[in-house]
Amino acid sequence: MQVAFDSPWYLVLLAGLPVLWWSSLRTLSSFGRFRRFTAIGLRTVVFTLLVLALAEAQWVRTSQRLTVLYLLDHSESVAEEQSDAMVDYINKSIAQQRDAAREDRAGVIVFGREAAIEVPPMDDDQSIPKVETLVDREHTNLAGAMKLAQASFPHDAAKRVVIISDGNQNIGNALLQAQALAESGVGIDVVPIRSRAFGEVSVEKVMLPSDVRRGQPFDLRVVLNNAPGEGEEPRPVDGRLQVVRKAGGREQLITEQDITLEPGKRVFSIREEIEQPEFYTYEARFVPRDHDADTLPQNNNASAFTHVRGRGQVLVIENAERHAEAEGEGDFDFLVDRLRSMNLEVTLRQSLQGELFGDLSELQPFDTVVLANVPREDFEDDQIEMLVRNTRNLGAGLVMLGGPDSFGAGGWTNTPLEEAMPVDFQIKNAKVAPVGALAMVMHASELPDGNYWQKVVAREALKALGDQDYAGIIHWNITGESWLWRRMLRVGPNRRSMLSRLDRMTPGDMPDFEPSLQLALVEFRRLRNTAVKHMIIISDGDPSPPNYGAGGAIPAMISLGVKISTVAIGTHGPAGSTPLQNIATRTGGKYYVVQNASTLPRIYQKEARRVARPLVFERESGFSPQLRLQHEMVQGIDNPLPPITGFVLTTPKPNPLVEVSIVSPLPTGTEMNPILASWTYGLGKAVAFTTDAGNRWASAWKSWSNYDRLMSQIVRWSMRPTDESGQFTVSTDVVDGKVQVVVTALDQNDEFLNFLNLESMVVGPDLKPVDLNIEQTAPGRYVGSFDADDSGSYLVLVSPGAGRAPIRTGVSIPYSAEYRDRQSNVALLETMARVTPQEGTAGEVIDAPSELPADERVAKLLKTNTFRHNLAKATSSQGVWPLLLFVGACLFVGDVFVRRVAVGLEWVAPLARRAMDRILNRQARPDVTETMERLISRKASVAGQLEQKRASLRFEPTPDAPGDLKSLTEQATAAPAGPDEKKAAASLEAEREQESYTERLLKAKKSARGGRRNAPRENDQ
Amino acid sequence: MHRRAFVSLLASMPAMAVLAGCKSSSTIGSLDRVWGRRGISDGRLQKPRAMTIDADDQIYIVDMTARIQVFTTDGEFLRGWQTPEHVNGRPTGISIDRHGNVLVPDTHYYRVLVYSPTGELLETLGGQFGTAPGRFGWPTDVQVDDEGNWYVSEYGEYDRIQKFSPQREFLLEWGGHGPAPAQFSRPQSMALDSDGNVWVADACNHRLQIFDGQGRLVKMWGSHGSQPGQLAYPYGLLLDGRGHAYVCEFGNHRVQKFTLDGQSLGCWGRPGRAPGELRNPWSLVRDKLGRIHVLDTNNHRVQRIFM
Repeated sequence: MQVAFDSPWYLVLLAGLPVLWWSSLRTLSSFGRFRRFTAIGLRTVVFTLLVLALAEAQWVRTSQRLTVLYLLDHSESVAEEQSDAMVDYINKSIAQQRDAAREDRAGVIVFGREAAIEVPPMDDDQSIPKVETLVDREHTNLAGAMKLAQASFPHDAAKRVVIISDGNQNIGNALLQAQALAESGVGIDVVPIRSRAFGEVSVEKVMLPSDVRRGQPFDLRVVLNNAPGEGEEPRPVDGRLQVVRKAGGREQLITEQDITLEPGKRVFSIREEIEQPEFYTYEARFVPRDHDADTLPQNNNASAFTHVRGRGQVLVIENAERHAEAEGEGDFDFLVDRLRSMNLEVTLRQSLQGELFGDLSELQPFDTVVLANVPREDFEDDQIEMLVRNTRNLGAGLVMLGGPDSFGAGGWTNTPLEEAMPVDFQIKNAKVAPVGALAMVMHASELPDGNYWQKVVAREALKALGDQDYAGIIHWNITGESWLWRRMLRVGPNRRSMLSRLDRMTPGDMPDFEPSLQLALVEFRRLRNTAVKHMIIISDGDPSPPNYGAGGAIPAMISLGVKISTVAIGTHGPAGSTPLQNIATRTGGKYYVVQNASTLPRIYQKEARRVARPLVFERESGFSPQLRLQHEMVQGIDNPLPPITGFVLTTPKPNPLVEVSIVSPLPTGTEMNPILASWTYGLGKAVAFTTDAGNRWASAWKSWSNYDRLMSQIVRWSMRPTDESGQFTVSTDVVDGKVQVVVTALDQNDEFLNFLNLESMVVGPDLKPVDLNIEQTAPGRYVGSFDADDSGSYLVLVSPGAGRAPIRTGVSIPYSAEYRDRQSNVALLETMARVTPQEGTAGEVIDAPSELPADERVAKLLKTNTFRHNLAKATSSQGVWPLLLFVGACLFVGDVFVRRVAVGLEWVAPLARRAMDRILNRQARPDVTETMERLISRKASVAGQLEQKRASLRFEPTPDAPGDLKSLTEQATAAPAGPDEKKAAASLEAEREQESYTERLLKAKKSARGGRRNAPRENDQ
Repeated sequence: MHRRAFVSLLASMPAMAVLAGCKSSSTIGSLDRVWGRRGISDGRLQKPRAMTIDADDQIYIVDMTARIQVFTTDGEFLRGWQTPEHVNGRPTGISIDRHGNVLVPDTHYYRVLVYSPTGELLETLGGQFGTAPGRFGWPTDVQVDDEGNWYVSEYGEYDRIQKFSPQREFLLEWGGHGPAPAQFSRPQSMALDSDGNVWVADACNHRLQIFDGQGRLVKMWGSHGSQPGQLAYPYGLLLDGRGHAYVCEFGNHRVQKFTLDGQSLGCWGRPGRAPGELRNPWSLVRDKLGRIHVLDTNNHRVQRIFM
């Protein structure tokens, strides 16, 4: 234990101690030696303690513990077998080298693009059978892993990281981070994963000319690279080169040839011609005949795309489930036919997840996207984000058609798509707004990552509910079954607090379903008037089943109209799934068996949508919508419009850009019931058409003469502008992970256009915008560039100015940088190991020949102890100033006591004597009697004196005594006095003196009073 | 404050203390030792859910890693082994038979495993899901009477107790899922008294039911609540042979001591993580020195108490 000071300069005040001593010696000179020096001693201590408190004294404890964090590179550049060997090394290193007696801790961090904790630092021999953490393996971010390690170290132990990597980082700067670790006293050991450079063949890129035009031949060039292995002779590689053209969902092989690839870079040209306007993607693939000549197959593909303009293209996405129910005859077949008849290119696809589109580039052929009564759960979050970006950033149209699975009724509430639409999917008017109630029971704590998934599904359900709906979550915690937020609450005003409370939810192992159902029942009874009451239970099925008999929750739920859907996950065989199935069957809910937790959000979206269903307004007798506002979309159309029988309730966004062209007169009580609303959203346009396009609610419209006109005008208005002026060409090129964009601008006379303000937009593969700033570098030439860290498609959109169609192009980064480096960067690792940590010694490069079998290599690596303690020992400090002040305050009282109270020591001797008597068993001296006698005698003597005094003062007149004082005085002076008389005279004299003194005092007092009384009068005068 | 008011307050304090202490006065017992740490290496516990003790005062604990670990009464690790399968779920019960063998109701595999004290698998009873005799739902506990008959409790859709002869022949069954007398809702554990009666901790009905060896209900007591004398999810049950029943309550996070007629003699423990506090205890055993070991499940440890 040591003492340290946070503000040591206050210790200078201790120099004042001699002054204190000098002044104390002077002021305490009247005291005895003992009291004087005791007081000075106490003052010295009090002063010193005060100074130490000011200097913020700390107790400092030093810990012998050590924490070692293993940072395991899990990127693609590390081969599977090497990764397994390193997992084995980590397990053995922890088991064999961790000092359990010292309570050393070990932990494992796995990293790729991001880092994650596989095993937190624990003083236990944890072993990992394999890497279970999911990280993006397409990149190596060594610096990120080191940063996470730094943040994860417990503060009470020395720290070391063991970096197990090939050193090929492609994000971040590991060396800088190593310096930061060293400054914090963290030691760095490295275990290089050595990969020998094998022979490698790669397709580096596919090049297209910048100005591909319809019917004009052009050269497509494929760049291939044949690199020999380490220590190998360069040799040609035979293989097959394929080039495929993809457009509109079709794939066409344009060339397939056997080639011999000479060592080094080679370019193959293919003549190509495009006849149809379309968005084309060219993909080149090389398959070597001898697979040993190629290590990484991932880098054998490359692609490029180009766009040749033509007629407007429309993508209609229809509901796959309803299509299947209708046995192939879709609800929107009629609409698609009519649009095609109006000279629009329409592509119809069904909303099956994953098959729709996986990339923003796949949406580029289309100038507008029509969502035809498709529910939210048919789309992944990414796909919704793509649809929105396609409109906002890339200028495409977005049209949403009504139906029971659309807008709020389709679970689209609180999604990015709602933001893009001109209407809100919730009803603001509480009188009209149909209200639902959703209760969720959470019991999936034993599922791997169960707590995480329970939060995800609850969040998804809350998102899908409207502001007026009620929601509640029941879970098992330390108080038993309970609501997460007291009871079921309205979502609108509580959404934020619900989500924040949700983050802290940790459901435990619920023993019984019945009490939870009873809890929910009480709330459903309270919310009896809600239109839809629904409940979802997620469980492994092992709580005791609910009571189906009289008085049980299930019959009561049935009579209240509550439907309970159950989600069985991780159930313990049939015994677990049957009770859940029974609950769902008896109450009319749905029973789901889930094998993969990633499907859970979709289930909850769908289930929560049951509560949102009342957002549909239907009236079988029909009602006629009315034109409200003239707009390009309703040009040439007049009232009256044919009747419809239903639509989805929405509320126009309070934004001046929103134009509501057609409204419904029903239901009354709302401000407005939009049927057709539109606005400009970012670079694109969005349209909400809340009734359907024919089969269900607007069947009367199908025979209406203006149907074709209205629907085609809606679609055409939403489409992005198209022209074929071809005066602007955009070319892209990729060099060293950077994309260069070159725009050439010519006017109609082929003269350069200068000083243009080109707006540009790039959307990366992760759908996030990438900065691109284009500047003029030569007459008619504009150049910009951006970093392309990720593999995938980058879409580039350049807007030449108002009224001109934006130019779209793109660039494809075929493979991650992970596949670019073919050799380990051991030099980087060694440099990091050489960085000396503060107050410690530099780390070790723990290495073994790569040609050794895995077991032997691991055994060799284990010869270096990663738990050796040559690092700065961890210290922990604790401020002690409150203690110092407290002790100082106590001692200060001691100082006052010593000075103010004289402690006599007379009592010590008798006490000691008595103690000795008792110890020696001697007859105690009768000192008590003596003392009493002394006391009695002294009392008698004092009493005598007092009596004498009283007697002398008593006046007893005799009959012959003179009647006045004067005669008495004369008598006294005339006759000599006897002894008694003398005494009486003396006391009389004393009394007289006393009287005169009292009188003087009285007089002085009176005079003072009189003076005070007279003073104001004097002043008045 | 006036002097009179101050004096009144002082005078009323003892009375208040008496009233406030009603609940605390029901607290009995004292903590002797806390042992066990969370972990998956030998000697550590990961959400342990069942415990038993043998004639040599060796404590057997089964946890969520499906390991059966043997400890001394001071928590010193002696040995351990794992059940053959545990993907479907882990055992929730454990007991010792007359020969010192370890009986493990392998809950989610619908069977009972019999191990030697050193972990050698000797026998398996059941293994098929069902409500027919000899099949099981989710077995929770096994008790063996003086004649060698087995009583196996189970829950699920059909909560019951099955009785088997020493040769594992099905003899009889009783119960059913529900709140009525002689029905069960998760019979989590059992104990046998000297008269051969079967005591059942009927967890989700928050009561104890006592049957004779033929499954006839002798008596039952307990109601749901957190007051002394009431129960919330009694999971563990122990008879000390001296006229007391000890119950550990999963829902009330405490151990309660009763007379055999259900009169509460006091409680020990309260919710929490500190020593002397419990978090969803599942089981309890008594050693030869009369100390009670409480399996503090969600705190991943054992607390040894005198009560």
